[in-house]
Amino acid sequence: MTNFTSLTEACDAVSTFIQRCVGDPHAAGFGELALGLFAFQFAHNTPFANLCQAENLTPETVGDWRDIPTVQTRAFKSLDLTVLPEADRETLFRSSGTTQVDRSRHFHCAETLAVYHASLWPWFAGHLVDESANRLLFLFPELGQAPESSLVHMMDTVAKRLAKREHCFATDGQWRIDGQAAVDFLHDCATQNEPVTILGTAFSFVHLLDHLDADAMDFQLPSGSAAMETGGYKGRSREMPRPKLHQAITAKLGVASARIICEYGMCELSSQAYDGKLGQANTAPRLFRFPPWARARVVSPETLADVELGQAGLLQVVDLANAGSALSLQTEDLARRHADGFELLGRAELLESRGCSLMNLTHA
Amino acid sequence: MPEQPLDYFLADKPGAELTHSLIAEASQTLRRNRNEYLATLGNEQIISKLAEVANLWRSPDYPLRQMALDADPEETGFPREVLAAGLDACFADWTQEKFFMLLTQEFGDPTRLQSFASQPNRTYSMVNGPQLIAHIAPGNLPVPVFQSIAFGLLLRSAQFVKCASGKSLLPRLFGHSLHFVEPGMAAALEIAEWDGGNESLESALFAEADCVTVNGGDKTVESIRQRLPLAKRLAGYGHRVSFGYVEKQANEVMGTQTVISHAADDIVAWNQHGCLSPHVIYVEENGSLNPARFAEMLAGELEARNETMPRGPISTRESAAISTARRFYKIRAANNAGAALWESEDSTDWTVVHEDEKQFQTSPLNRFIFVKPIEHIDEVLHVLEPIRESVSTVGLAASEARMRDLALPLARWGVPRICPLGQMQRPPLAWRHDGRPPLGELIRWADLETA
Repeated sequence: MTNFTSLTEACDAVSTFIQRCVGDPHAAGFGELALGLFAFQFAHNTPFANLCQAENLTPETVGDWRDIPTVQTRAFKSLDLTVLPEADRETLFRSSGTTQVDRSRHFHCAETLAVYHASLWPWFAGHLVDESANRLLFLFPELGQAPESSLVHMMDTVAKRLAKREHCFATDGQWRIDGQAAVDFLHDCATQNEPVTILGTAFSFVHLLDHLDADAMDFQLPSGSAAMETGGYKGRSREMPRPKLHQAITAKLGVASARIICEYGMCELSSQAYDGKLGQANTAPRLFRFPPWARARVVSPETLADVELGQAGLLQVVDLANAGSALSLQTEDLARRHADGFELLGRAELLESRGCSLMNLTHA
Repeated sequence: MPEQPLDYFLADKPGAELTHSLIAEASQTLRRNRNEYLATLGNEQIISKLAEVANLWRSPDYPLRQMALDADPEETGFPREVLAAGLDACFADWTQEKFFMLLTQEFGDPTRLQSFASQPNRTYSMVNGPQLIAHIAPGNLPVPVFQSIAFGLLLRSAQFVKCASGKSLLPRLFGHSLHFVEPGMAAALEIAEWDGGNESLESALFAEADCVTVNGGDKTVESIRQRLPLAKRLAGYGHRVSFGYVEKQANEVMGTQTVISHAADDIVAWNQHGCLSPHVIYVEENGSLNPARFAEMLAGELEARNETMPRGPISTRESAAISTARRFYKIRAANNAGAALWESEDSTDWTVVHEDEKQFQTSPLNRFIFVKPIEHIDEVLHVLEPIRESVSTVGLAASEARMRDLALPLARWGVPRICPLGQMQRPPLAWRHDGRPPLGELIRWADLETA
C-alpha cells in the first residue's frame, strides 16, 4: 500500500494518477491509491478516524477500497472533515443554504485546490469542449463575488482555461441574473454567427428563460451552441422537471437537445459527473459518468451492498480528488445502476405526498 | 362473498376514463340518491349500520378484511400484521354508544340532526350537514378516510371520495362493506382515484360539492384553498407532528417495561406514518431511568416487535431516507459522546437515535425514533416553540396525577391532543382533529327564535 507521509505527497500522487487516466482511462492503481489516501486521512482527519474506529474499519482491517467507511455528505455541515490543520484552511467551499448550519464546509489549501483543478478540467473539457470554439455565457457570479461556491470556482477555472474565448459572467453575487447583459451577449453571438455555450444552474436557466418570456423574446443560436445545466433549485426559482427545462432551452434559445449536457457535482466532492458528451449521440435514459479517478456505486439502502444492474439505490462516490478531506462519500441522491453509468432519480428525502408527518425542520 | 370482482365505485374500474362531465354527473347522482334516501334516515338507522360495518371488519374471517390483509403491501402501504392491528384499533371504537356520544359531544342533542331541539336560552336550533362533501383522501393512512365517510353518513351527506392514484383499495373495500350492509346508504357514496391537482376533474368536483375536506400535505391544502370558491366550506388538515414525553417517575409508577412497551406501540402502529405517530420521545433526566438507557431498552423492544409484527418492505426512497439519517448519526455518534445509535442489522427495520441535542427532529419514519433527554416540560415547550402550530399529539408516560400537571402547560401552549403514551395512534372516535370539532366543522346551524 502507498504510504503518504505528507499532504503534498498524497496530492502529487492523485494528480499523477489523474494525468495517467486522461491518457488511459483504464489505468491501474485506483484501489491502491484509494487505500493509501484512506490511511492518510485516517491519520489526519480526526472526525473521520473516529467514525472508522467506531466501525472497526481502519487501515489495518480494510483491504478493499469498497470497504472504506463512507461519510454522509450532510456530516460536512457540522464536522470539520479535513486533514488540514486550522491554519492551513485557506479556502472554504460551502454548499448553498439559508443558514450557516445548513451549509456544508469543505476546506482546501493550495495543494488540494490544485488537485481540484486537475480533476475538474479534463473531464469538463472531454464533455463540453469540442471543435467549435464557442463563446461562453456563464450564468454564474464571478469568483470574487462568490468565493465560497465550488461551482463558481469551477467556472472560474473553465474561463481561465478557455481564456481566448469571449465570455460573460451574467449574475451577481446573490445569483440574480443580469438579464440585459445575458441577452446582449446572446444577441451578439447570434448576429455574429458565433456559437455559444451557456453554463448555469437549473434555476439560472429558469431566470434567463423567464427574462426572455417577459420580453417575448427568443433566440435561434448558431448551430454548435451548447448548454451545461447543473441541477438544483434551492428555492431560487420555480422548479421545472428536467425534460421540460431542456425543451424550453431548445425552444427559446435554439440549443439542440443533444447539446444540452447535465453536470452532477457538489461542494463535498472534487470531481464531477456528466450525462453526455458534445458530439456524441445521447441514448435514453441519459447516464451520468464520473471520471476514472472517482468511482460511483449504487448501494441498497437496506444493506449498503451494491445493487444489481438496473436496480435503484443510494449513490456513493469514492473520489480520489478529495485528497484533503474524505474520499468515500455517501450522497443523499437516489440512482439507478447501469453497466456504464448511473441514472439520477432524485433526492432520498421524503416527499410531501407522504402526508402529514413531514416537515422540513432538519437541523445539521 | 365476494365471488365476483368488486365493481361498484368508479375506482373499481381501472380502465375507466374520468372526465369533467362524468365527475359532475356522478356528483349530481349522489346528491339525488342522498335526497331520496340517506337524508330521510334517523340517527339510529345510520348508526346501527355503521356499527354493523365495524362488526364485520373486526371479524378475522370477514372476506373484505382478508382481501385488505392479503393485498400487496405496496397497494395498502402496510404489511399484513401492521394493517391488521391498525384496523382492529380503528373499528374497536365504532360502537353505537360511541357514535351517539360523538353526536352528543358535537350537538348537545343528537336529534338536532333531524329537527329543531331547544337550547338553554329558549331558542331552538338544528344542524344541517352538507348535501355533498368531497373528501380529498390522504395517501398514507386509511383510518381518516373511514372516519370521514362515517362522519359524512352521520350528517346525511352524499360523499365523493377522491383518492390518489393507486391508493383507493382500502377505501373501496370499506365502501363495499357499506354497500353490502346497506346499499341505500352506499348509493350516496362514490370513490374515485386520480393524481391530485387534475384541474379538469377537480373543478367539476369542487363546483358540485358544498364542502371539501382535505387530509394531506400543506401544499395540497393550500392549493385547494386557492381553487375553492369562497362560499364553499373547507376543512383542511395539513402537516402535523407528534412526540412522546416520559416523566421521570413514570417507570417507577408504571414499571419500566410497560413504559418501553407503550413507546414501542406508538412507533410500530401504522409504521409511524401519519400525524399522530411520534418522531421524538423526550425522557426526563434525573429520574431512575436514564434517557440513554431508555433508548437502549427501546431498541431491544423494537427488535422484539420486529419478530411479532415485522415492519415489512418499504420503498427505496423511504429506505434511503433512513439510511441517510443513520449514516449521518453514525459519524456524529463517533464524534460526540452525546449521541448514540441502535439499529437493526442488514436492514432499516428499526433505528433508535439517542441525542443530547434537544431540538425537535423529524424522523424518516418507518420505525426510526429519536430519544432525547429533557429537564422539564417547560424546556420542551421552549425548544418546540418554532413548530408550536404544527404539533398534533403528545403521548405522556406519567402517573395519573402527574399527567394532569403536565397536560395543563401543554394544552395552554397549544397542544390539541394529549394522551397516554401507547395510545397516540388510537384516538377515540370523537377526537378533535387539530383541536377542531369533527362534525361541527362541517355543518351549518339553523336557529329558530320564537316570540
